[in-house]
Amino acid sequence: MTECLTKTGKKVLTKGNYAIANAAVIAGCQCYFGYPITPQSEIGEFMSGKMQELKRGYVSAESELGAINMVIGAVSTGVKAMTSSSSCAISLMQEALSYAATDELPVVLVSVMRGGPGLGNIYPSQGDYNQATIGGGNGDYKLIVLAPSTVQECVDLTYKAFYLAQKYRNPTVLLADGMLGQMMEPVEFGEYPYPEIDNSDWALTGAKGRTSRVIRSYGPLADDRCVFLKKLFEKYKTIEENETEWEEFNTDDADIILVSFGGPSRNVKSAMKECRRQGLKVGMFRPVTLYPFPSKRLNELAGRTKKFLVVEVNMGQMVRDVRLAVNGKVPVELFNKPVGSPPEVDDIVNEVKRQIKE
Amino acid sequence: MAALTQIFKIPDSIKKGAKYSFCPGCDHGVAVRLVGEALDELGLRENTIAVASIGCSVTIYDFLDVDSLEAPHGRALAEATGIKRARPDKFVFTYQGDGDFASIGMAESMHTALRGEKVTAICINNTTYGMTGGQLGPTTLLGQVTTTSPTGRNVEYYGYPIKIAEHIALCDGTAYSARVSLDSVANIRKAKQVIKKAFEIQLHGLGFSFVEILSTCPTNWKMTPQQAHDRVRNQMMEVFKPGVYKDITADRN
Amino acid sequence: MSHIVLDEAKCKACYLCINECPKKLLRVGSKTNNLGDHLVEFYDPNHECIGCAMCATRCPDLAITEVYRG
Repeated sequence: MTECLTKTGKKVLTKGNYAIANAAVIAGCQCYFGYPITPQSEIGEFMSGKMQELKRGYVSAESELGAINMVIGAVSTGVKAMTSSSSCAISLMQEALSYAATDELPVVLVSVMRGGPGLGNIYPSQGDYNQATIGGGNGDYKLIVLAPSTVQECVDLTYKAFYLAQKYRNPTVLLADGMLGQMMEPVEFGEYPYPEIDNSDWALTGAKGRTSRVIRSYGPLADDRCVFLKKLFEKYKTIEENETEWEEFNTDDADIILVSFGGPSRNVKSAMKECRRQGLKVGMFRPVTLYPFPSKRLNELAGRTKKFLVVEVNMGQMVRDVRLAVNGKVPVELFNKPVGSPPEVDDIVNEVKRQIKE
Repeated sequence: MAALTQIFKIPDSIKKGAKYSFCPGCDHGVAVRLVGEALDELGLRENTIAVASIGCSVTIYDFLDVDSLEAPHGRALAEATGIKRARPDKFVFTYQGDGDFASIGMAESMHTALRGEKVTAICINNTTYGMTGGQLGPTTLLGQVTTTSPTGRNVEYYGYPIKIAEHIALCDGTAYSARVSLDSVANIRKAKQVIKKAFEIQLHGLGFSFVEILSTCPTNWKMTPQQAHDRVRNQMMEVFKPGVYKDITADRN
Repeated sequence: MSHIVLDEAKCKACYLCINECPKKLLRVGSKTNNLGDHLVEFYDPNHECIGCAMCATRCPDLAITEVYRG
């Protein structure tokens, strides 16, 4: 499947991985570098044909280390570029992400989560919430993390990932999971909806008619490094103020609010509706940006609900951020499944009832 | 009074007033100057993107007056690949040490050569990890004492040093692979021509070009600058023989 | 007349240039740097320099900044 999917208003049926890849092409991604790993290999397969057809950059990299560093090279010259991978292979990219964050480079990384830790398996999972939001690279840095829950959102947030990466010169992760990557839904691509960002004041293009530029992370002097890191964290503050995004339903009168992100939030939404049908005052909260995390709003909601129930497919990762946000105002409980498809709607409903009784 | 001709000047591609942070007698300084001279003579300064690596080589962006990107340890050629694929019209080269190029970055180096990326790699071989204090590296000679081979490199524990230029020459995507030495003025002048040739190979879009430069590390070798250059000549050049190991333009003649 | 320009601020006293000069016009001088090392000096009272630039080519520290022949 290498034909470019339509970008007219017509709906097309496609799977998440193709949707992400096609959206990247429409967003103006000039270079794709990748190394295969299930369950996201369709992205690289699509890109290999499409980028060559469009005379853009493509390399079947020797490893994930190669791939992510090629992206760093490409984006340092001011073009849009991306790589995609999954879980254990994204572990290999952590060093480069630390560099890219410090170098303030607009790297776009698509992370399609599978089961872990280690080699794990190829079932869907949300086990890399911490990997994406906290990261495994050294030093103080943050990645913008966007979590789609539908194939349409895979498209919309891919556009947004390129935009935010450029706007803030910050590595940005699209955090999908194996279920979203493989499932098919009707989507509309439309046009890339964001303005192009001028990067002529920092990109490496050869020092013609200007002083030469260096993109570096090496800061041998402690004092200089302090100044730099404070400035970097001012940027993160701006991102937190401007770009925090979430969705909430029926939170006004909710006794209990379900919190869930990504693909599994679809079942959580259905469970919330079923609870309402049964007369239970249940609301739902879905972070769209995992960094910046909507802590402020969760803290506000903590003042009017009695309990939060975090539903995720891992051993409990986002629940820690919810607890930090709620800061002890009300209980924050976890209903999780370690790996695989999301918890069934009935199971979530039963858990909600159990939590209400407690 | 006879008119004066200027025989030597600091290349324009080196930042005005640049003062190297290398140790006394370290040949990095000569190598950077030769790169600068080659950039000047080919008129490349304003169209160049250099990739610095990790180790003493990282500091080249403090000295070369060209746009530069710093790569994580071993990844310089991956980043150079990304730059070249994004901007094929730019002149792109890496400046790396032997540990960066041939140990931690071996996969990136070999695959960049195999793909025939139209970039140039300059690799400084000083048979040790200099910046970290003189540990055993991929090119440490048999018998050489380092901080991690206290009784000298033996085959049982450490295996053999790699002959980088020869290995890179074996890659089908390599258009040019050569090794030079900076032990004498005559060899420095030869090295300059080799670096220039490697740059021209890229300019003609012929494939990957590579120059390995035998260099000194007097500090970690615990030698005077003069002794260090004698060691390059008498020991290193015996194992790592200077020469052109591949030149597809020569094959055509 | 042929001569070189030596930037003492850049000389690290490696003395590699001294052996290169075919006319032996470079020598260890009396001035010292911050570390107490004696810097190289260019001593050519009889105008013997031939402007060969061997010293500048050898110098690893850009301390010999210019060479003139004439």
